[in-house]
Amino acid sequence: MGHGHAHGHPHHHDHGHDHDHGTTAPLPAAFDTSVPDEALNPAQRSRRTLLRRAGLLGAGLAAGTVLSTDAAAQPAPATGGSRGKGGGKGFLWLAGDHHIHTQYSSDGKYRVVDQVRQGARHGMDWLVITDHGSATHARIGVEKVNPDIRAARAAHEDTLVFQGLEWNIPAAEHGTVFVHPGRNEVSVLKQFETDYDGGVKGATDSTPANEALAVAGLGFLAEQVRRRKVEDALMLANHPARKGIDSPHEIRAWRDATDGDRRIAVGFEGAPGHQAGGLPGPLGPGGARGIYDAGPGANSFAGYPLESYRTWGGFDWMTATVGGLWDSLLAEGRPWWITANSDSHQVYGDTGARGGGDFAANGRYDDPVYAGRIDITQNDYWPGQYSRTHVGADGFSYAAVMDGIRAGRIWVDHGQLISGLDVRVSGGSRWATLGGALHVRKGTKVTLTADIALAGGPNWAGFTPKLDRVDVIRGDVTGPVADKDTFTAPTARVARSYDIAKSAGTVRVTFELGRVDRPLYVRLRGTDGNRTAVGAMGAKADPAGPALDVVGDADPWRDLWFYSNPVWVLPS
Amino acid sequence: MTPYALTVDAGVRDVLDADRLLHRMAARLALPEDVFGCTHLVRGDRPRVAVSLALPSRPLPDTLRERLAEYGTVTPGLPDAVGRAVLYPGVPSLTGTMTVAELLAGSAIARVTVLGTPGPPGPDTRMVTRDHVRPQWQRDELVLAATPARGGALVPFEAPDPTPCCADH
Repeated sequence: MGHGHAHGHPHHHDHGHDHDHGTTAPLPAAFDTSVPDEALNPAQRSRRTLLRRAGLLGAGLAAGTVLSTDAAAQPAPATGGSRGKGGGKGFLWLAGDHHIHTQYSSDGKYRVVDQVRQGARHGMDWLVITDHGSATHARIGVEKVNPDIRAARAAHEDTLVFQGLEWNIPAAEHGTVFVHPGRNEVSVLKQFETDYDGGVKGATDSTPANEALAVAGLGFLAEQVRRRKVEDALMLANHPARKGIDSPHEIRAWRDATDGDRRIAVGFEGAPGHQAGGLPGPLGPGGARGIYDAGPGANSFAGYPLESYRTWGGFDWMTATVGGLWDSLLAEGRPWWITANSDSHQVYGDTGARGGGDFAANGRYDDPVYAGRIDITQNDYWPGQYSRTHVGADGFSYAAVMDGIRAGRIWVDHGQLISGLDVRVSGGSRWATLGGALHVRKGTKVTLTADIALAGGPNWAGFTPKLDRVDVIRGDVTGPVADKDTFTAPTARVARSYDIAKSAGTVRVTFELGRVDRPLYVRLRGTDGNRTAVGAMGAKADPAGPALDVVGDADPWRDLWFYSNPVWVLPS
Repeated sequence: MTPYALTVDAGVRDVLDADRLLHRMAARLALPEDVFGCTHLVRGDRPRVAVSLALPSRPLPDTLRERLAEYGTVTPGLPDAVGRAVLYPGVPSLTGTMTVAELLAGSAIARVTVLGTPGPPGPDTRMVTRDHVRPQWQRDELVLAATPARGGALVPFEAPDPTPCCADH
């Protein structure tokens, strides 16, 4: 529970800050215990309730669990070394969503402020507006959406609103690309989209030339950061296994496209959006959870099994498979992180209908109108309503959120299954948290402790989720793969499972890794226990993993999971 | 499979368009009833979907090759051994909901597998065909992959109307 802001802790309280939050801004009122509950507006009060449940509010609660040592700030192993931050300061765990559409997408509907207002109400601290890349968006939308985003920033000071776009990755799926706000946020995105979007460039086929264009696009973004055109830029691949067109070698190529400590492509969606898609008819869309309903095509990677085209417990097969593609990336000892987002286009049960207007001419639809009835054919939730990406940030600022994402200080949950997660892997008087690496002498005894704040209150479906089990997943770091299309990791397995008896408060899970003599990583997963199945790599790897989601009968609220990013242990 | 096969590369990019091409051929060319018409994914610099026509035990009619040339480039043999079958004996009867036993008895499909499930389904398990059943060749057998569906039934893995990219959803 890394709320690092305790009473008396000095932070930048420069009132009258500009709304771009160029430096660390004042804490949102919901976080600031000097602001009484009565002074909060309803959205802030809602946010504070969530923080209280997570044990993230107030000095007394924070003291026992705050992530506050140098070790916690260590970067991923690829960059090596420790980066001390000075003692005493921990992380704010900021919930967000990097995949949100508006009326500037040809399949979207909402105003920017609709999504930001709903996101704020549902507890989101940061949001990325990601309308689809296209010729129309590159020509009109990417510019026209910016004043709307700036207006939303001004109207919702407690929510960080990034401008991004949903990149048609050449030769591959979609990906979120977003930049730090600033003078050039629009021009950099526009140039990027014009020159490197697969749709704009007619470069969607899975060919070597198009794959190279994707890598060049990431290089372009890195160059804009290097030249200080924008302060920062990030890419995260979206719904990676949906159509089988993100091959393992492409994912590795994106990861490795930019080096140094300003890596641009840092991860993918562990869980896709569109989580309402499997709600059974006639009162739900009756389709596939995540709208994962495709099969192999001429552009898909030949090695992927049919299982990869469907979701498992709401998560993408690349992440849900213990010993699968994600573990094969982690086994290389290189950073690659997971997130969970709404992909909100049109919300299940909403009463809004798309406005009219000529999208091609205006770059957007008119504002939505009242439909006079609820729409049960839609597949999405509002940002924060179901899917959350929790980022350990070094303050409340755009830069801190981007740094936290790049560092992999991220855990994700569905349906508010838990409200807080504090993971420490310690040994030899040092420790590391999510995304970090614990460097110890060979043979040092290492222990993982995870303090989990249980749900503690109702979610947005109106019930209090019950965490049933937590799994510690462990895998060896075996180094770079010779075959870039590797998507299995034979050593990854569920090392231990913990049944959770409590239904409120916090629980601590302690896992002894023993005396560590080879590089490894550990990551966590938890479930409400409603639906489980033997994993694809067999019962020895995963005896009770997520089950295949049933097409037309996948109520997402009855199948909840959380996943953490890994912590590495690197003995020397 | 069979040595009596012809492959047509019409430059089709989409799997369902290849299905339509096979159905057009079946309608126009009076193909034998026991013909196998399959789609094959061709990857590389120009990803596309080829189609093949094959008979298990006798040569295709001599005139067929010429007539197929109207659709695209014709080559003898098959591009690969893992064709996805669109035309095959019994396919017209695979409609509505039927049991796995009925499906196996009434068509050239040899086996049904269920994703995420170790064993084969029971013969009485209901299959909601959605009138779209596309088994695939696996080691000289036509195998239909299925997934669990509502109410304990199965559906073929392949949906008849998969959501296109950036659909108006």
